Amino acid sequence: MSPNDTTPADPEFAEQCRRQLDRPLAARIRYGFNRVHKPVLDDAPWRSFATMAEYRAWCAENLPEYLGFKPAAK
Amino acid sequence: MTRPEFHPLQAEEIARAFNDAGVDYLFLGKSGAILLGYPGTTQDVDVFPARTPENGRRIAGALKELGFDISAALEAEIVAGKDFVQIKTGPFDVDLVFAPDGIASFAEAWQRGVTVGVFHVASLRDIIASKRASGRQKDMIELPLLESFRVEYEKRSAPPLRSAADIAADKHQRGDS
Repeated sequence: MSPNDTTPADPEFAEQCRRQLDRPLAARIRYGFNRVHKPVLDDAPWRSFATMAEYRAWCAENLPEYLGFKPAAK
Repeated sequence: MTRPEFHPLQAEEIARAFNDAGVDYLFLGKSGAILLGYPGTTQDVDVFPARTPENGRRIAGALKELGFDISAALEAEIVAGKDFVQIKTGPFDVDLVFAPDGIASFAEAWQRGVTVGVFHVASLRDIIASKRASGRQKDMIELPLLESFRVEYEKRSAPPLRSAADIAADKHQRGDS
């Protein structure tokens, strides 16, 4: 789907979007934010990276594959 | 590391603390999309702040007010505006993304941004552009859903200004470098 497409790909998901857009902000927050421990990523109090490239490289090298932080295949 | 339990209103707490401290910021990433009405879930708060030392000091102060343990070393990184600062020393996780992929400048993103309740949120098109530019597996999986959400969202909230991605696409079509 390109940035100018106006037709949703999945009617069921489009309906889900419409329902969520109808919900008040408090409900979006209540159901949208949760927390689950992420190995490695959550094991340091803080990290900083001078460049986004350094951050991406660190994620690719250190995080488990299943977290999805590695570069997608081209 | 033992941490207090997350509760959803903490997203609102950070917005209020940033607003009270005069922080220039936009919610970005999936957290921003959720505030706009995207039917997904996320585990942390992505914030795109303006990169100035003064704004960095305001951020550090606001986070301390919220109960974050901000050491002198961490505060120095925030004030310096390192591209990416990940903070897990408070009641919830915050990623400060001073240079998000796919977005040219804070000032331009601010003009395209929207306010939802107490939240300043990047435009949905900028959120999508940033996800696309990141190239990460988890973002590529999410992109088709975000684009489908955009179709429904823009039926109700047409984008007031064109995104950096739109402008780049137009240039590409015209053959501009």
